[in-house]
Amino acid sequence: MNRRSAFFLQRFSLALAIIALLLFTAFPFAWMAATAFKPSQEVFYWPPRFFPEQATLSNIARLFEETRFLDYFRNSVVVASATVLLTLALATPGAYSLTRFRFRGRETLAATILFTYMFAPIMIIIPFYVMVRYFGIANTHLALVLGYTAFSMPFALWMLRTFFQSIPLDLEEAALTDGADRGRAVLYVVLPMALPGIIATGIFTFILAWNDYIFVRILITSDELKTLPIGIADLYNSSVIDWGMIMASGMLVIVPVVIVFSFIQKFLVAGWGGGGVKG
Amino acid sequence: MHSSHRRRTASVQTSQARLGILLLLPAMLLLAGLTLYPVLYGVWLSLHHKHSFFPQQSWAGLENYWFLLADPEFSESVWRGVVYSVSTITLQIIIGVGAALALNQYFPGRSLVRGIVLFPYVIPTVVAVILWKWLLNNQFGLINYGMVMLGLTDEPINWMGRTYIMTSLILISVWQFFPFVVLAVLARLQTIPTELYEAARVDGAGPLSRFLYVTLPQLASVLFIVVLLRTIWMFTKFDTVWLMTQGGGAEKYIRTLPVYAYLRAFHYYEAGTGAAASVVMFLLLVVFAAVYFMMFRREEQL
Repeated sequence: MNRRSAFFLQRFSLALAIIALLLFTAFPFAWMAATAFKPSQEVFYWPPRFFPEQATLSNIARLFEETRFLDYFRNSVVVASATVLLTLALATPGAYSLTRFRFRGRETLAATILFTYMFAPIMIIIPFYVMVRYFGIANTHLALVLGYTAFSMPFALWMLRTFFQSIPLDLEEAALTDGADRGRAVLYVVLPMALPGIIATGIFTFILAWNDYIFVRILITSDELKTLPIGIADLYNSSVIDWGMIMASGMLVIVPVVIVFSFIQKFLVAGWGGGGVKG
Repeated sequence: MHSSHRRRTASVQTSQARLGILLLLPAMLLLAGLTLYPVLYGVWLSLHHKHSFFPQQSWAGLENYWFLLADPEFSESVWRGVVYSVSTITLQIIIGVGAALALNQYFPGRSLVRGIVLFPYVIPTVVAVILWKWLLNNQFGLINYGMVMLGLTDEPINWMGRTYIMTSLILISVWQFFPFVVLAVLARLQTIPTELYEAARVDGAGPLSRFLYVTLPQLASVLFIVVLLRTIWMFTKFDTVWLMTQGGGAEKYIRTLPVYAYLRAFHYYEAGTGAAASVVMFLLLVVFAAVYFMMFRREEQL
């Protein structure tokens, strides 16, 4: 085999691999979207057809009218945003401290933070539930936000620490020697440089809170307080499974994830380095 | 260079240790109160008879643990968890490394394809599960249609039935979690010096031997971490497995250890036994991690 045909063969097998990969990952989403736009009778066509013959928004309309989808959506937005704010408010100064101050036990602390990865949600949630009941905050969004913040704190600290470490100390020092106090040096020099890292950490936290199932399943009992993952799971558990509506709900839930995900794609590698992706 | 760096850092990292601790304190208090304390409280719970709702409790000693050892469902759930973890991790590694190698090559639209491939990992688990339950539906599912058309099977397969439900669960889990392997391996592949490949090419190594003798050794360190993390996460995976058990099907045949712990705590309301099951789960992971480190420990790690 000469060089040319070897090259051709290589490109050809690469193309096949990419197509297979796309088929495996993307096709299920395409099928979900296609089903979401089909009227009920078309959903069950046999043999199945990919494209809807008469595309309809009726599945989405039913989702909004007959279920509490919009309530769930609002709850998800509230809980995930509050989690992001609380996590960043606590983790940013924490991570800054881990990179800029020397104190005894600093490295031990950093290692312990990593060790908490060993604690699975199911291990924390049983005692957490008993505690939450004891404090009388079971079935509140507060319990959810606290649970998610605690759960995302280790990776948030770890990831932000990586970002702060990459900011040279010289700039901060220059500001300090120019007479700025520490607070101003941080506010005007460090934070702007750390902003991409802070945003990326916030997005990972958002996705974690947005996607979670187990904390809501256990901590929330009132229908009006449920978030989307539980709302969708309940749609599926109802007696008659309305596949068109369920696929529409799945499609709508991942829209915010698609949007934020497209922002952080370039940070994913850093996120991996910081252990930001968990699950 | 090193000492001057030291001196410079010393001026910013002044003796303001107190301020440093103060900044870290809120995060640490939260972790201590809402992660560490629950874990320790869980150990304490596992030594008590405790109803999940009502405040009564009584000392149980190791009774909860003896109960687990005597319960055949418990040992079955451990075994199922092992089968689930080993098979999903093996497939995730194979598909993940293969995909990362392909995505490391240059081709038009590469960054878009990378984004799409990583996508199953960032969507809510409930979406992954309903999506595949629809694809695998035994009456109207596309997979059964395709398999019958291709002559792979005469009759539609009951994917949620006793025989195939574990296979379905493994398929869904691999689909959902292999992008994590892609992400980690891709990050590592980008840092392998191209000189290594050129040297191998000069020595007349073909694509296969370049992979075996250049790429694979370079990936060893990242695969070490990936297998460790994936083992922790697959063995303790609750939501994917639990959601698969919902809405009919032979759910009994995919009850893994985390699901067993959940059922004990929230269906039988035995918080003590549920906590004991999750403590056992944690101990099994610690033993695994210890053995794993002894077997594969490498100098460049951690």
